[in-house]
Amino acid sequence: MDEFLFLRQEVAPALMSGLWMSIRLILPSAVCGLALGVLVGVLRIYGNHFLKALVGTYVLFFRGFPLLVQLYLWYFGLPHVGIYLSPYMAAVIGFSLCSAAYHSEYVRGAILSIKKGQMMAAKSLGFSHTGAIFYIILPQAIRRALPGSGNELIYLIKYSSLAYMVTCIELTGEGKILASAYFKYMEIFMIVGAIYLLMVSLATWGLNRLEDFVAVPGFERIHD
Amino acid sequence: MTADEPILVVQDLRKRFAEKEILRGISLQLHRGDIKVLIGPSGAGKSTLLHCINLLLPADDGRILLHGRDVTGFRKRRVYEYRQKVGMIFQDFNLFDHLTALRNVMIGLVRVKKIPKNEARRRALRELERVGLAEHADQYPAELSGGQKQRVSIARALAMEPEVMLLDEPTSSLDPELTGEVLTVIQDLAAAGMTMMMATHQFDFAESLANEIIFMEDGAIVEKGTPQKMLYAAENLRTREFCARIHGYWENPER
Repeated sequence: MDEFLFLRQEVAPALMSGLWMSIRLILPSAVCGLALGVLVGVLRIYGNHFLKALVGTYVLFFRGFPLLVQLYLWYFGLPHVGIYLSPYMAAVIGFSLCSAAYHSEYVRGAILSIKKGQMMAAKSLGFSHTGAIFYIILPQAIRRALPGSGNELIYLIKYSSLAYMVTCIELTGEGKILASAYFKYMEIFMIVGAIYLLMVSLATWGLNRLEDFVAVPGFERIHD
Repeated sequence: MTADEPILVVQDLRKRFAEKEILRGISLQLHRGDIKVLIGPSGAGKSTLLHCINLLLPADDGRILLHGRDVTGFRKRRVYEYRQKVGMIFQDFNLFDHLTALRNVMIGLVRVKKIPKNEARRRALRELERVGLAEHADQYPAELSGGQKQRVSIARALAMEPEVMLLDEPTSSLDPELTGEVLTVIQDLAAAGMTMMMATHQFDFAESLANEIIFMEDGAIVEKGTPQKMLYAAENLRTREFCARIHGYWENPER
C-alpha cells in the first residue's frame, strides 16, 4: 500500500509533468525539423552552387557533431557571444536543426528517385521550376521519404531525453530526480522507459495510418 | 496575321552534347494545320530537336520563332507562357504518378493557368472524353494501360489549349496492339486541324496523315517532301533506303 501511495503521490505527478514537457519538446521539434528538412533536401538538389554548398555544410556539421555537444553549444556556448536561450528554446532549436539534417537526407534520396520525365512533363505544361518542385516533385518525394522520415521522428522522441542535460527537465529528467531522491533507479527508469515505448508505439501507429492515407497505386508500401 | 504566315519557324538550330553534334543546323516551318512527321534512325536527333523546340533543352545556336517572335532568349515567365502554347507528348508518357487521370489533366489548368477548380474539372473531363477516357478519370497512372496513359497525356497537353503539338514517338513504348488507340486519337486531332510535329517510326501512319515527311540523319535534315515523294520518288539514296525499309517493315511486321 505504501508503494501504491508513493507511486500515486510522488512518482505519477512528477512523471506526468515530465511527460508534458517531453511532448512540448517533441511536437514543435518534429514539425520544424521536418519542414526545414524538406527545404534543405530540396536545396541540396535544386539549389544553386552557393545554396548547395551552404546546406551541404549544414548537414555535415549537424550530423557530425554529437547532439549533446550541439545542445551544450546552444545553451552554454551562445551566452558567450551574448545570445541567451532558455533551456526549452535551446533544446527545441537543437532538436529541430539536428532532425532537419537527417530528414534532408531522406528527402534528397526520395527526390533523386523521382523520374526525370516528371519534371520535364511539368515544365512542358508551363510550370515554373519552383512550381514543378512544389506541385509535382515534392508530393511524390515526400511519400517516398515517409518511411525514413518517420524513423527520424521515432528517434526524436527518444533523443528528446537529452534536453535535461541543458536543465530542461522533461520525462527522463524528472525520472532522474525521483530515482536519486528515493534510490529506486530500477523501478523509476522501467516506468520511464515504458512511457517512451508507449509514445513510440503511438507514433508508429500514427505514421502507418499516415502512410495508408497518402498511399497511391504505383508507390507501393512494404507493409499492409 | 495572314494565313500563309507560319506559326512556328526553326532556323539553323544547333545543339551539341560534349563533343557530339546532335543537331547540325535544322531549319523548318510549321503553318496552321500542318502535320509534319520526323523520321530517321535512332540517334538522328529527332527527339533532341523536339525538346529544343519546347525549350526543354537550350539550343546552342539558331532561332525558334513563334508567330515571328524569337523565343530562344526568353526567360522564366515568358518561357512558361511559350510552353503552354506548344504542347509536348513524350515517348514514355510522363504522367504524374501521384495524381489520378483527371487530376493529371487538371493540375496545369489549376496551378499554371490559375483556373478555378470546378471549371478546371469540367474542362479536364471534357478533354478526357475527347480521348475516350472519361470513365477512367479516377484511376491512377499505375492502374492504366500504356495506351490509356498516352491518351491521358494527350488530354493533359490539349487542356492547355496549345497552338502546336510536338509528339516525340508517342507510340514507341507501347505494345503493338495498344498503338492503334493512340493513333486514332492523333488522327482525331489532325482532323480537328491541330498543328503537329511528330517523330515516329510508323511510316504507314505518317503516310496517311502527314503533309510533309522530314527525313533526319546525324543531326541534319537529309530530305523532306510529301509522303508520296518520300516513299516513291525520293532524291536521296539514304532516304529511299530508309523509307523503303520502315515502310516494308510496317506492312510486313514479321519480316
